[in-house]
Amino acid sequence: MLLLLWWLATAIPELVPPRVLPSPFDVVRRFVALAGEPFSGATLLGHAVVSLQRWGIGVLAAMALGLPLGIALAWLPPLRAVVTPGFELMRYIPPFAWVPIAVLWFGATTTTQAAIVFIAAFPACIINTQLAVAQVDPILARAARTLGAGPARTLAKVILPVAAPTIFTGLRIAFSNGWMALVGAELVVGKQGLGFLISQGQINDSAATILVGMTTIGVLGTLIDAVLQRTQRLVLPWRPVAARPTE
Amino acid sequence: MTPGTSATSPRWTGPATGADLTLSFWRREPGRARWLAIAAASLAAAGAIWWSATRPEGLVSPLFLPPPLEVWEAFVRLLSRPYLGSTLGQHIAASLRIVIGGWLLAGLVGLPLGIAMGWWKRVRWISFPIFQILRPVPPLAWIPLAILWLGIGDSARIFVVFIAAVVPWVMNSMQAVDSIDGILVRAALTLGASDRQILTRVVCRTALPTLVAGARIALGNAWTTLVAAELLAATAGLGYIALNASRTLEMGILLVAMAIIGVLGALFSIGMHLVTRWVAPWARSGVAT
Repeated sequence: MLLLLWWLATAIPELVPPRVLPSPFDVVRRFVALAGEPFSGATLLGHAVVSLQRWGIGVLAAMALGLPLGIALAWLPPLRAVVTPGFELMRYIPPFAWVPIAVLWFGATTTTQAAIVFIAAFPACIINTQLAVAQVDPILARAARTLGAGPARTLAKVILPVAAPTIFTGLRIAFSNGWMALVGAELVVGKQGLGFLISQGQINDSAATILVGMTTIGVLGTLIDAVLQRTQRLVLPWRPVAARPTE
Repeated sequence: MTPGTSATSPRWTGPATGADLTLSFWRREPGRARWLAIAAASLAAAGAIWWSATRPEGLVSPLFLPPPLEVWEAFVRLLSRPYLGSTLGQHIAASLRIVIGGWLLAGLVGLPLGIAMGWWKRVRWISFPIFQILRPVPPLAWIPLAILWLGIGDSARIFVVFIAAVVPWVMNSMQAVDSIDGILVRAALTLGASDRQILTRVVCRTALPTLVAGARIALGNAWTTLVAAELLAATAGLGYIALNASRTLEMGILLVAMAIIGVLGALFSIGMHLVTRWVAPWARSGVAT
């Protein structure tokens, strides 16, 4: 239906100039062309791989730091008092506001992009992990304690399994935040990647290239989330306790 | 145990009720006074580390992180003297104008559309697929297209902010109307309310908290996106200052711009919470999407 409208709008000459909105066929043709021959230094696949790599590094770093920290914050309340003020100060600075300073610190490198992904993904990671652990019914922890389990054992065998589904949902949010931020970072700095591809499309006045890039970004984002959802069902088949992850 | 408070109190958010003295210090929730003391000490320590690390003979080069005093001086200088053609106040005003404009525009379109999509199935069939397609594409990915279509004027930025804000507006309004208890609607019908009365008196009012939550998320998205848009296509605004300061290595100005972006973001969030409490005081906090 939408496709039909789009095709109609572009098929009738003079209605919408192709510079503004190319016809669907043009976009498909452009897609095939981009998939085959390099544009701005890489094929479409090459740009996508570069983007995914940066995203992967940033997201892994956010996970590696955010998960243990989130658990620690929920488990050790005084630590929360130490971290909260600084965290609250930083939280409201959007990830993209870090782009200029990241460029200064790391130069126009993969590190910069990964750092932006990290900054976008880290808060969702840590907040939801903390929430998930804190929301586990304390009765469970107390029951484990009564039965003679030490803190480490309680945490590993009781708290974490109960919290795991919510933590995972938080990770999904973090991953998609990271993906969105990466696109923004690539628009500003970088020599490769999907964000760079669409900014090149803008410079070259090629709306078809932009649309191909946008579609690829959207499809990859959806794919990432679908894979994660499938993984969650495989790895953690039990249901989450009532808990709402945030943003 | 008094009636009403069952032993399996279902939700436990944050502090445990009363300090469980059998736990060690690290596992106990600190009291309010102690909490504040720890928080203040932590902030002071962070400030002290910043100050001492950036002293002239310190570890960190001022190009990496300037001393606090330099940031403050940059702030004062920005207030009085124009930077990149406008004073700080004008830059802030430029950013605010776009963000509020795009956000309101998105609300003007999204709110009625979302309610209509929740109420009339036919409207939903027509417009829902559009949003399903739009949603996975990050709003930022629209920036190049916006520049191509509209140039680097205000309209391109308003357009991008609009795209970022319209999705939460629509989705939340639709969900709000969707999740209304059918009993309420039927009760109103029984009492002889007309279709229009039901929509305005029952549906819109019950849905209000979720609608406001949508507005809040939309504003947050709008602000985040605006900063990115200003990095790419602007001649004024906080993001524009930040990027320019980064190119000219004026770290003080860069940090001031970041701080103001953060403070404004926080103000938006707090303001929207207050609005929620004001228009829908019966709503419990935390309608998350």
